Amino acid sequence: MIFRTPLEGIEHPEMEADVVIVGGGPAGMACALRLSQLIDAHNAARPETQLSKENIYVLEKGREIGQHCLSGALLDPRSMNELLPEWQKEAPIEAEVLRDSVYYLTKKGAFKAPVTPPPMQDHGNFVISINRFAKWLGSKVEAAGITIFSGFAGSELLFEDERVAGVRTDDKGVDRTNQPKANFEPGYDLKSKVTILAEGSRGSLTKQLTERLGLTRDRNPMTYGVGVKELWEVPAGRIQPGEVIYTMGYPLTTKEYGGAWIYGGRDNTVSLGFVTGLDYPDPRTDPQHVLQSFKQHPLAAKLLEGGKIVRYGAKTMPYGGWWSMPPLGGEGWMIVGDSAGFLNSQRLKGIHLAIKSGMLAAETAFEALISGDSSARQLGRFQRKVDASWIKQELYPVRNFHQGFEHGFLGGMLNAGLLMATGGHGLRNRYPAHPGYERMMPIWDVMGQPGGRDQLLGWAKGDGKLTFDKLTDLYYSGTRHEEDQPSHLIIQDTDLCGNRCTREYGNPCQFFCPANVYEMEEVPEEPGKKRLHLNPSNCVHCKTCDIMDPYQIITWVPPEGGGGPNYDGM
Amino acid sequence: MAETILVLAEQREGKLNRVSFETLTGAQFLGKQTGWTVEAAVIGSNIAQIAAEVAKTAVAKVYALESPALAQYTPDGFVAALKKFIEGNKPKLVLLPHTYQVRDFAPKLAAALGAVLVSDAVGYKYEGGKLLFTRQMFQGKFAADVSLAGDGPWFASFQTGAFRGDQVESGSDGAAAPVEQVDASTGEIRTRPEAPFREAKQAVDLSQAEIIVSVGRGIKEQKNIEIAKALADALGGEIAASRPICDAGWLPMERQVGSSGQTVSPKLYLALGISGAIQHLVGMKGSRNIIAINKDAEAPIFEIADVAVVGNLFEIVPALTEEVKKVKG
Repeated sequence: MIFRTPLEGIEHPEMEADVVIVGGGPAGMACALRLSQLIDAHNAARPETQLSKENIYVLEKGREIGQHCLSGALLDPRSMNELLPEWQKEAPIEAEVLRDSVYYLTKKGAFKAPVTPPPMQDHGNFVISINRFAKWLGSKVEAAGITIFSGFAGSELLFEDERVAGVRTDDKGVDRTNQPKANFEPGYDLKSKVTILAEGSRGSLTKQLTERLGLTRDRNPMTYGVGVKELWEVPAGRIQPGEVIYTMGYPLTTKEYGGAWIYGGRDNTVSLGFVTGLDYPDPRTDPQHVLQSFKQHPLAAKLLEGGKIVRYGAKTMPYGGWWSMPPLGGEGWMIVGDSAGFLNSQRLKGIHLAIKSGMLAAETAFEALISGDSSARQLGRFQRKVDASWIKQELYPVRNFHQGFEHGFLGGMLNAGLLMATGGHGLRNRYPAHPGYERMMPIWDVMGQPGGRDQLLGWAKGDGKLTFDKLTDLYYSGTRHEEDQPSHLIIQDTDLCGNRCTREYGNPCQFFCPANVYEMEEVPEEPGKKRLHLNPSNCVHCKTCDIMDPYQIITWVPPEGGGGPNYDGM
Repeated sequence: MAETILVLAEQREGKLNRVSFETLTGAQFLGKQTGWTVEAAVIGSNIAQIAAEVAKTAVAKVYALESPALAQYTPDGFVAALKKFIEGNKPKLVLLPHTYQVRDFAPKLAAALGAVLVSDAVGYKYEGGKLLFTRQMFQGKFAADVSLAGDGPWFASFQTGAFRGDQVESGSDGAAAPVEQVDASTGEIRTRPEAPFREAKQAVDLSQAEIIVSVGRGIKEQKNIEIAKALADALGGEIAASRPICDAGWLPMERQVGSSGQTVSPKLYLALGISGAIQHLVGMKGSRNIIAINKDAEAPIFEIADVAVVGNLFEIVPALTEEVKKVKG
C-alpha cells in the first residue's frame, strides 16, 4: 500500500500507553467514557488494585472535538440511555422528533407516503447536531480524567510483526517538499497495549490495518454513500423543531441510490442534505450538484426561500452492512463505529451503533487491562460481545438490504419488501456486493445513454441565493489547513490522470470531490492536454476520493493535525 | 569536590542576549538547592565588557573564552573551543538559553563530548538527589520529566520565559565575580559563514497599499505577471494575487489576497483575470473602488466591481499602462 513518504533520520519520541483511541467522534468518546466508568467502578470496589486512567489517550485530528463530525443527525437514544442514563438533562439536543414523513419526488411533484415505512419512523429519536453532541461528550471525557490530544492525527500504525503496537502521531512543521521547517516537531510513537480505531468512515489507519492483515477476506466489500449537507437558517414558521422529512427520487434517477433529509432544529435552523450512493454509473455525477438540484425542487425551495446558508460540509458513510464489516478485534487492536461499518443502512442511522460499539470495545479493553492480555484471544472477544448484543439484533435482519439496490431503485424496493417478509433472509442468506467504483461506466458508454440527468452531472452553477457553486459552498465549511505541507492525497500515478483516466472516465475526481480538491488544468506546453492539479488545503476530510476513484490509486492520509473543516453546529 | 553548574551566556555582535539572565536565574535556583557552584562563561572576541556584565550577577566565576577566530559565530569554532574548555573544566551541568544559536551548536557540542542534552526545558525538579528537567510534549498539552543518564557533563537548554531574567541575583555588596581569561584559540575553522540571514519581515504590507493590482488565473502563465507588474509600477501600486497564483509559486504567499491570505481595503483594487470566488472576495470586498477585467461576463467578480470590463486583459492592460504613463507624464 502506498503511504506518505516518511522523513528520513527522524527519531520519534516514545510514550507508553495503556489504551489509545484514534478519533474523537461518538464511537471514540463513548469508548473513552465507558472505559473511565469501568475503571472508576473497579477502583471503588477494589482499592488495593487501582487502575490508572493516566495512560489512556484519545487522538483527534480536528483542532477540537467535534470539529470534523458531520451527520444529519438523528439520534436513536438506546445506547445513550445505557451509557449515561441522565444524558437528556444535559446533552445538547435540538429537538425530539415530532413527526416524520417520506416523499417520493418527481421533478416538480412530491408524493407523500401515506404511512411512513417502519424503518424510517423516528418517534422517540432526537434531532441533534453531532458536532455539539461530540463536543459535549468530549467535555465529559476530559472531566473524567482522560487525556484528549486534539490537533493530533493518528498518522500510521506501529506494528511488531502482525501485532499492532501503537500509533504514530503526525509530524508537525513539514513543508510541501517534505522537508522539516523551523517549527518542525516529529510525531510521537504512542506504544500502546490496546489500540482502538474510531476514525469514522474509511479511516486511514483502518485502511492500513485492513490491507496489511487482509481483513476484507471473506467479506463483502464495503459500500458507501456521500452525504453533502447544508445548515440553513430560515424565516420563522417554515418548519417545526423536530420535524423530519425524507425524500426519494428526484434529482436522482432509477440508476442512482440515495435520498435527502430535512430536519428542523432549534432557532429556525434546518439541516438538509443529500446522500448519493458511491456506486453511480455516470462518472460525471457530482454529489454537491445533486444537493443543489434538490434545493430547487419546490418542496425544498419553499422551505429555504428567504433563508441563508450557515454551514456546508460533506462526509461519507459506510452502509454495506453486516456482511461488509471487518473482524472487529485482533492482536492489540479493535475497530469501532463507522470505521468498522456500524451503521444500519435501512434506517440510515449509525450514531447509536457507534456509541454502543465504543462501549463494548471499552469493556473488552478493560478486561484486557485487568488480565494484562491484549492478544487476539482477548480482544477478539469484542466480536462476541457485539454478536451477543442488540447491535447484531438490529443489523443482522437488514444484512441484505443495501445489496438489493445494486441493480437500481425498483429492484431495491422489491428486495426490501421481500426481506421484510423473510426476516432478512430473502433468496439466500448472504447477498454478494460489489465495490461501488466498479459500477462506474466509461464516459463514452454513458454519453450514448438517454439524457434527463443534467441535474446530477458536472458542476453546479449556483445562483448565490438558493444554490451555490462548489467553491462558495466550500467557503461555508470553514476549512483551513496549513498551506505549506506535503499533499495528504497520495496518488500512485498522476500520469494516469491526464491520459488513461481522461479518456476512459473523463476524470470523475473533479466531480465527486465535494470540495474542489481535484482540478484538471490545461498543460500550457501541450494544447488540449490536461493534467491533475491538487488543492489539498480545500479538503473537508470526507474520503470520497479514496473510495470512489475507479483506479483505486488515491490514498487519503491525515494532513497536519488541527487542519480541516470547522463543522460548528453541524 | 563540589560540582559546578556552568551557564553559557550568549552574546551576538558584542551584545549580551538578555535571555542569558533567565538561564542564570535558573542556575542560581538550582545551585541553592543542590549546593553546586554556579559559574558562567562567555565566548567570542572582544567580550571583556560582556564578561564584566555577567560577573555582576551572583556567580562564583566568569570565564571569558576569547579568540579572534570566534569573532563571528560558527558552529565549528564554538564547538571546538567549548569542547576543549569543558573537557578541562569538567562542570557537572552546562545550562544554556534555548536560542537559535544554541539550537545550532549545542547538539553538536553534546555529541562531541558524548554527553546528553535536554533541550528546550521549561523547568527543573530536584527530588531526592535526582535532577529532572521538564519538557513540553504534544505542543504543551503534556509535560515530561526527563532524567539524565551517565556521569555528565550534562547539558540542558531552557526555553525563553522558563525563568525571569529580572530575578537574577546580583553579587553580594555589588562585588563582581572574578573574570578569568581563557585562551580559546582553536584549530582551523572549516565553516565559512555568510552574512547572517535575517528572514525578511513581510516585505509588503498589502493592507497599507492604496492601489493594488491583483491577478488571477486569467493571467495564464507566470511570465504574463510582468504585464500586471508594469501596470502596478505605473500606478505606484502593489502587485497581489488570488490563491491559485501563489499556490503555483508565481508570486510569494505574502501577496495572496483572500480568506487564506491577506485582507485588504485599498482605494483602488484592480482585479485582472480573477473570477471572484467568495474566498477571494472576502479578502478585498472592502476596497473603495474595484475595477475588474475578465473575459467571462458571468464572472462573479463583476457583482461587486464598480467598473466591469469584459475583455481580454492581455490587450487592455498594456494599453492601460501606457495611458497611465502618459497621464502621469
